[in-house]
Amino acid sequence: MNNNKSLFVIALILVGLLVLSSSAFVVKETEKAVLLRFGELVRTDYTPGLYFKVPLVHELRKFDARIQTVDSQPVRMLNSENKFMMVDSYAKFRIVDVGRFYKATRGDERNAVRLLAEQINNRLRNQFGVRDLHEVVSGQRDQLMADITKNLNETAQKDLGVEVVDVRVKRIDLPPEVSESVFQRMRTGRELEARDHRAKGQEASERIRANADRQKVVIESEAYRQAEELRGAGDAEAARIYADAYSKNPEFYRFSRSLTAYRESFKDKGDMLLVEPDSAFFRYLKDPAGK
Amino acid sequence: MAWNEPGGNNKDPWGGGNRNNDGPPDLDELLRKMQQKLNGLFGGKPTTADDGRPGGSGSFPWSLVLIVLAVVYGLWGFYQVDASQSAVVLRLGKYHETVGSGLHWNPPLIDNVTKVNMTEVRTERTTGQMLTEDASIVDVVLQVQWHIDDAESFVLRVADPLKSLQEATDSALRHVVGSQTLNGVISQNRTQVAADTQVRLQQYLDLYKTGIRVDVVNLTDAKAPREVQDAFDDVVRAREDEVRLQNEAQAYANQVIPVARGQAQRMIEEAEAYKSRVVESARGEAARFEKLLTEYQRAPDVTRERMYLDTVQDVMSNTSKVMVDVEGGNNMMYLPLDKLAENSGSGASTRTQVSSQVIDEITQRVMNQVRTEVNSNRRAREVR
Repeated sequence: MNNNKSLFVIALILVGLLVLSSSAFVVKETEKAVLLRFGELVRTDYTPGLYFKVPLVHELRKFDARIQTVDSQPVRMLNSENKFMMVDSYAKFRIVDVGRFYKATRGDERNAVRLLAEQINNRLRNQFGVRDLHEVVSGQRDQLMADITKNLNETAQKDLGVEVVDVRVKRIDLPPEVSESVFQRMRTGRELEARDHRAKGQEASERIRANADRQKVVIESEAYRQAEELRGAGDAEAARIYADAYSKNPEFYRFSRSLTAYRESFKDKGDMLLVEPDSAFFRYLKDPAGK
Repeated sequence: MAWNEPGGNNKDPWGGGNRNNDGPPDLDELLRKMQQKLNGLFGGKPTTADDGRPGGSGSFPWSLVLIVLAVVYGLWGFYQVDASQSAVVLRLGKYHETVGSGLHWNPPLIDNVTKVNMTEVRTERTTGQMLTEDASIVDVVLQVQWHIDDAESFVLRVADPLKSLQEATDSALRHVVGSQTLNGVISQNRTQVAADTQVRLQQYLDLYKTGIRVDVVNLTDAKAPREVQDAFDDVVRAREDEVRLQNEAQAYANQVIPVARGQAQRMIEEAEAYKSRVVESARGEAARFEKLLTEYQRAPDVTRERMYLDTVQDVMSNTSKVMVDVEGGNNMMYLPLDKLAENSGSGASTRTQVSSQVIDEITQRVMNQVRTEVNSNRRAREVR
């Protein structure tokens, strides 16, 4: 009897727990929730906390309340130069009005992401289409992205109940044929630079060598001048000494110098002299009296 | 209206003031009340919780089960947070608190605890080809070191913080590289690129409420793409060539100029030597002359004669001589035959001075001389 009662109590507790678990729910800090009654929105203003619903009547739908990402596929776009480029962008958004969001997407977050991606790509296409590659790539696009974000945010708030926090271009890639022309241009630029360096090297080399050659000539010719001056000074000094000495008796100088010259001129056995006996040397050869 | 909304204390499901202490809600009391109510409903006598006697209100040991459940529940609520971690606590879905390291207790099923590592520095690496401001393509490898700065944001505010970091890094890096020239990225402004990227990336991360703090951004590699690497390498080689050519020229200069200086010195030295030689020999000769002159002036005639004779004697003794008496009045004649024979081959210098007529005369005389010699010999034999 008591056992039965106990079992009954336990069963009752279990049933109670079951009802509780299907009627109580927690909305977390990271979630937004809508309550539906037979497909019709009843309540959307949940703050985090514990709530109850009527099982089987109410249906609960939860969505991510955190900042989420729209990561769209890279899209081909034409720029103002009629060149294709692949633009890969992403956007950050947050659900602010979950009721509107639920209506707009019929409860499927992927729809929202798809819609946002389309809108972003359209706006980027419009903006990039009137700009050339340089304007698109160079870092002057902060304003452009801010404009796109602001503009998209207005529409998204109104249509989707979503706040667009930021839109960013991740990467801009060039198709292979354009890349190849860029590489070609880079190569030619480098070739110019390389040639410039080599030519400058040759120029410097030529300059240094020529300067060295000039210095060599200057040094040697200066030395030659000094040497000639020295020789001249030597010659002059010698001449002065000779003149000083010989002018004391020029006649005797002529005489003695001539003798030296004779001695120097006829000192070889190969020289043949034809002499007449009547020269001064043979005065006594013919006649002891020397007449 | 939520039960635990602020200001809704009287709607607290636990009925007491237990919300404000961190102890477990008094489940025992709750169950006792429930049991009393149920007993009342089903006509049983009211029991109390301390009615722990076996077979008290029935054979089923309620209090034991409840105590066991309470103990299990109590133990289940304990958890430990490392020194490197923080834990974000949600109470019934609502942000409650962020706790640091140590042993903590939170009611299970009611509180939700997420631990995140706050001190570990993690590295995010991004690589790829991107466009520069001068529409060139560059290969970049970037490393971002980061840690979680704000656990609450990291856990609660953004759907995928790591993916957000990757995307923000990609975007920030490309933005910064796109505002730099190729040369700037690969050489001069590498640190600038890294610093700008860090600032921009942090802006994005704060905007997306990731709770991530970027510590360091390193541009580990930035080089020209493989397709044009050759041309870039060639520029490096060209720079080296430039220096090499200059160095070679300098080496040439360093060799030529000292050699020239040495040769110049040699020329000067040789000139000095010549000067000394000329001057000294002049002095010597002059001194010799003056000394001789002194003696000469004492006895001019004799000295003069002596010198003349000395000289002529030397000359005569050192040369070949032919005495020619043109008058023909004298038969005295000295003829060095051997020398004559020798000199017929050479002696060009003298031959020019001797006319052919003179030579004919000489031979004639020589023949005559020979004849007389022979004749005189013959006579001498006949006499014997």
